[in-house]
Amino acid sequence: MFKDVHEYLSQLKKELKGSDPALTQDALADAEEHLRTALDNVKKEAPHISETEALGDILDKYGEPNEVASAYKEIEYQISSFLYPTQPPKKRSRLAKFFNINGDSQAWAAFLYMLFSLVTSILFGLWALFGMSLSLISLILIIGLPLTGLFLLSLRGIALIEGRIVEALLGIRMPRKPIFVQKDLNLTKKLKALITGFQTWKIFFYLITRIPLSIVLSFGLLTLFSFSLKFMAYPVLAPVFKRSLITLGGQSYQTSIWLYPVVSLGGFVVFTLSLHLTKLVGKLSGRYAKAMLVRKG
Amino acid sequence: MNFISDANKKFQKELNSGTASLVLLSVLDRAKEPMYGYQIAKLIEAQDESVQMMKQGALYPVLRSLENSGLLESYVDPSITGPPRRYYKITKSGQETLDAWAKIWNQTKAFVDTLLEENEDV
Repeated sequence: MFKDVHEYLSQLKKELKGSDPALTQDALADAEEHLRTALDNVKKEAPHISETEALGDILDKYGEPNEVASAYKEIEYQISSFLYPTQPPKKRSRLAKFFNINGDSQAWAAFLYMLFSLVTSILFGLWALFGMSLSLISLILIIGLPLTGLFLLSLRGIALIEGRIVEALLGIRMPRKPIFVQKDLNLTKKLKALITGFQTWKIFFYLITRIPLSIVLSFGLLTLFSFSLKFMAYPVLAPVFKRSLITLGGQSYQTSIWLYPVVSLGGFVVFTLSLHLTKLVGKLSGRYAKAMLVRKG
Repeated sequence: MNFISDANKKFQKELNSGTASLVLLSVLDRAKEPMYGYQIAKLIEAQDESVQMMKQGALYPVLRSLENSGLLESYVDPSITGPPRRYYKITKSGQETLDAWAKIWNQTKAFVDTLLEENEDV
């Protein structure tokens, strides 16, 4: 018997301990949405009924925390075994493994993430900086506090969007629902929870640090890619467009015709290496996003 | 007695895990407007109150997995009075999948029915 929704959610959280934090966040959001909607409906029909009493019938149909938790875990297991099936590793030579990255969808998705995140991280990061400065300035005025609340709330929304991008392109499980907050708190307490909440500041820190990280990583990788493409296309660029291979200190360097295939092959090797690096950067970016945007426990 | 009741529960659970996705796709295919979890659960409950297909809480992870597979899409509608509600609607790929699954279901159902009827005749 649970005295209120919050007690049920706390128990559900305990049952989901050890699961992916993103899954826990989704399960809590689903349960809260359902139980509060059901409670509202019961109270409309019988206004004098206590929450504990009404909750008894609702939970009879919704399920005990252990039942609901196991339903989530089962489905998550089915999805992950479908997404990442355990296949016996194919025996391939090291060289084949190295070049296979060119057909690796995860590497190309990481490349897309790199391009996409360059734009989003600057936009999100600037919003975080602008919003924070505006909030700090306006704190001297009476509208400062609600304005700060709205700004911090927008950060949570951005974290959710960023999470969706990370999951779609980097394949890392991120929350699909907003962070669970106790709904029966009054507005002041909600605002206090938002301002003092460690998660809010982790998100803020993430958004700010993503600006330099994205710029450095994206431009670094893009430079590598453009060099490799230039080298690959050199056998065409050199005779048709009269382009030099490298220009250093105003001095142009060219190669003899017989070296063209070597230069082109070298370009392809650098391109492949860049893809490996992009995949690694994508993996690390995903881990960073998960560590910063998902509330633990 | 307990063994039979446990076996029944297990059988029902196994059936549910296969049919829940079909039921949810079918409900959302018939719906004229996007629906949120509680509405879907109430609609299923209203079909036949004597049978509880599965706990309502177990419908939500199925909805999310269907969305993840691109068969459903959803949006969140923030509510002033309560928690935000997630509305689901079926996608084109969901409708195509539903047609295919309904065919499989009908074939399986006809096959099982035939076997059960034969057993009754023996």
